[in-house]
Amino acid sequence: MAGIKGAAKLFESNLEPILGVAYGVAFHLTHNAADAEDLVQEAAVKSFCGFHNFQADTNFKAWFLKILTNAFFKRCKKKRCEPEIVDLEENSALYLYNQTCKAGLHKVSDDPATDLLRRIDAEHITAMMKLLPSEYQIVTVLYFMDEFSYQEIAEIIDCPVGTVRSRLHRSRKILQKLLWRVAEEQGIVSKYLNAQIPKENDRPNDLRGNIQAA
Amino acid sequence: MIDQMTCEETFRRLDDFLDHELSASECLLVQEHLEICTICAAEFKFEAGIWSEVRAKLQRTTVPPSLREKVTRLLRDTNCSDSTEK
Ligand SMILES: [Zn+2]
Repeated sequence: MAGIKGAAKLFESNLEPILGVAYGVAFHLTHNAADAEDLVQEAAVKSFCGFHNFQADTNFKAWFLKILTNAFFKRCKKKRCEPEIVDLEENSALYLYNQTCKAGLHKVSDDPATDLLRRIDAEHITAMMKLLPSEYQIVTVLYFMDEFSYQEIAEIIDCPVGTVRSRLHRSRKILQKLLWRVAEEQGIVSKYLNAQIPKENDRPNDLRGNIQAA
Repeated sequence: MIDQMTCEETFRRLDDFLDHELSASECLLVQEHLEICTICAAEFKFEAGIWSEVRAKLQRTTVPPSLREKVTRLLRDTNCSDSTEK
């Protein structure tokens, strides 16, 4: 009995520090707090019962997330939770950079990426995950929720490294488009530009109308 | 003779560079290019900025306080010999 209790304690001591990442991954995959809790609990039971198969000195977090993502895949098949189809039309890797340049953000900000992103709510960014095709979603969620390498992600989802790389790179292109869409819909760029006073030398013509006459 | 990367070669490595997936020698070549090319440096800084903000916002999820308790209770009540793969 002491052995079982000891194993349970050891399991819990492994699980405790990674519960935050596990819940985060589950939340961004299921898009719902209750389903995320369910998924984590299902993965906890499965991994607890399979804990004798876990090799000590290997990565418990990766092992646990593999079980969690497998459980998610099974649920997906059952519920056929297909995400809304996003326009996959290929855009430049520098889509957001180019759009923000065109909009004049680089003339008024030393750090346009941060200035733009800080104004986009976390809820909007969370909602964007839902719009990614499911096979991109899982790679992207794992990538953002931890510091996993492509190789580690590949092992978690049982996919070749090249697939992880290409999905992740494409997913970032799609996300750039979605980020810009939100920025436009929310009027983030125009509000930001209106609040700035560009440097005399850089002042673009199209902003003159926004500068109050002295 | 020291190899140098062109803007195009550097740009092709943008994603892998940001993800620390380049070999040490390639990483060095990219870094050397970024030191002398302000255009590529601005693009790389912009990309790094976007993804670090996206990461920070996605990581803002907090574990419901009850979940830890639920998991502990669940494990205590689990009889592994009962659980069968479906
Ligand atoms: Zn360059």
